[in-house]
Amino acid sequence: MTEPVISAQDLTKIYGDLTAVNHINLTVHKGALFGLLGPNGSGKSTMIKMLTGQIRPNTGRATVLGIDVQQNPIGVREHVGIIPEQETPPSFLTATEYLQFVGAVRKIPDISERATWWFDFLDFKDKKDVLCKDLSRGTRQKLMFAQAFIHAPALALIDEPLINFDPIMQHVVKDYLTNYVKAGNTIFLSTHILEVAEEICSDFAILHKGNVLHSGKVAELTAENRHLDDFFLDLVQRSRNV
Amino acid sequence: MFELFIAMVKEEWRVHSTMFGSLSFALFPILIFWIAFMGSFLLPLMLKSLPSGELSLVLHANYLMLGFMVGAFGLLGSEVMNRRFGQASLLAYAARSLPLSERFIFANFVIKDTLYYFALWVLPLALGFLLASPFIGVPVTLPLLLSLTLTLSFLFGLCAVFFLSSVYSHSKTALAGILGILVIAAGALALLTGRNPAMFFPPLMLFNAFSWLNLTFSCVAIALLFTVSIWLFTPETSGATTRYSDMLTPLTKKLSFFPTPPLAAKDLIDMYRSGGMVGQTLFSFIIPLVVIWFFLSLLNGYLPSNGVLLEFALVTGVIASTMYTWLTMFDTFGAYACLPVSVRTLIKSKIASFSVLQLIPAVFVAIVATLSGQVIYLVPAVVICLSVSFYCLGVTIWLTGLSPSVLVYNVKVMVTYLILIGIVLLTLSAVAFASPFTALGAVILFVPATFFARLGFAKWEASEQPGF
Repeated sequence: MTEPVISAQDLTKIYGDLTAVNHINLTVHKGALFGLLGPNGSGKSTMIKMLTGQIRPNTGRATVLGIDVQQNPIGVREHVGIIPEQETPPSFLTATEYLQFVGAVRKIPDISERATWWFDFLDFKDKKDVLCKDLSRGTRQKLMFAQAFIHAPALALIDEPLINFDPIMQHVVKDYLTNYVKAGNTIFLSTHILEVAEEICSDFAILHKGNVLHSGKVAELTAENRHLDDFFLDLVQRSRNV
Repeated sequence: MFELFIAMVKEEWRVHSTMFGSLSFALFPILIFWIAFMGSFLLPLMLKSLPSGELSLVLHANYLMLGFMVGAFGLLGSEVMNRRFGQASLLAYAARSLPLSERFIFANFVIKDTLYYFALWVLPLALGFLLASPFIGVPVTLPLLLSLTLTLSFLFGLCAVFFLSSVYSHSKTALAGILGILVIAAGALALLTGRNPAMFFPPLMLFNAFSWLNLTFSCVAIALLFTVSIWLFTPETSGATTRYSDMLTPLTKKLSFFPTPPLAAKDLIDMYRSGGMVGQTLFSFIIPLVVIWFFLSLLNGYLPSNGVLLEFALVTGVIASTMYTWLTMFDTFGAYACLPVSVRTLIKSKIASFSVLQLIPAVFVAIVATLSGQVIYLVPAVVICLSVSFYCLGVTIWLTGLSPSVLVYNVKVMVTYLILIGIVLLTLSAVAFASPFTALGAVILFVPATFFARLGFAKWEASEQPGF
């Protein structure tokens, strides 16, 4: 088995009366395209925020790429790529300037060449001089996708990366993610679009009301002739009945 | 349609109460009330050194200033929808999906904001003085009249800046024309009457000699300024995208001496492209301070010869420290959360950008010192101004981190701020009045400023950044 790139033990996050994430243990190995699946409000985004040091857990600890997240959140963010759930790029920078900004913060020497490649690859070079506030949601999502991968991180934690893309762009991005993992990198993907997860993920965990209901390999389900969406719905339904 | 207004009021309440609790926010006007109530007992003492006319002048100037500081709605314009609290999704934005005109939504937003400021600042002060009046032997009609005229002062300031900023967003030439006419009118008034134009400020005239005509004039002028400003509001036109060449890369190189050049470059671009660089400087800094200078100069006979200039430098320092809110109003920490940027780094970067902006108050105070014929006190005045500004910045960072415009309404924050700033201002005033050049010692304020800023780094690094 390959080395773990994400290891979470007993992670809990409580907001007032709500336990968003409840004593979760999770391991993601190198080279996996790991899908964290769950309904809206199940704690997926909270998990990503804890794993990238954006928020602190109430209990437990996590290491990402061997770095203790609580001890060194900036170290984690230096080495990973992140697509957050809600944040949009800064309103008054153009798309080019935003990627230049990311490049300057991440100290990427050939940022201009990389930015040009991403504008071509995601087909939005005609928008590169437009202020981010004037970009459509889909274009902003392209920009956020580009900033997450522009430094070619060994691990990317991406929250609902396909949600604002049209079918053509979804296809392009799914291909990219699959190839990215084949090249030896790891993806931690949070989504509630189960078809996408079944199509591209190698491993998955189902989260419901902050609890992990199941974790395993997509191939194991397929071998049993089962589909991820049926499995997911059945599991969540049973959990609700309990 | 009243529902939208009510919903906006509720939203404003929740934005603040979710940040630091309903009780803390609710206590804010009570704090202002208490300060006014207790302060009223000092009135007999203050009257010994300052006649009541001059005291009322200072009070009216303060409320006019408050109106000035909050009234630049015209600058926000269509950006009001997403600028007020960074990336928060506010009703003013969401309501655009309803069958309501953007002008109507904007008018509701402005009225709501005005009422909020009125309820938080103006009303509690008036009530405090009103309730204290029987104990200090002041006829009850006086605080009632003062409540009315202070409210008018606040609304005058707010609507005047709202009007000017709205004109500015349409035509800079028109604004220059209007400002030119105002300056000529003020000069002509001073020449013809031989009195300071500030004495003709309608609410102050009303306070000194009540007349229904003046009251009607004041109300009509405020209503007119407000209506024209709302009329000047231009909704955002869809598809009107402007293209910009890359400013970030060259600016980052030019700012290479900064601790984090790309963050500083982003700050400056944000301010420049949002219209904040010129607009905020003009409407939240220069215009209010020019007017305050006129008001303070009326105190010439009651302060030492250099007193007005040094007092003005102190006030300018406090106002200059609010430039920190200009730098933090554009983004929440969330925008940086996917990058390897710590809260400490971000605050340090804001301090660096703030330091660049301090050229504005430094030059401004120097010009005022020169024009008022007190070049000899130019250096102490500039030193006082900058020392106070950086000291206030340090305290602000410690108390509010990256959310100064929201956390200021936390009563605990406000009390601590008032105490820490008040002690320094009173001490510095006394020292400066006694010997202007001794005030050069104000540079020592950079020590506590650094201390508070460092406390702030540790405090805000250790806490989760508020988001919406």
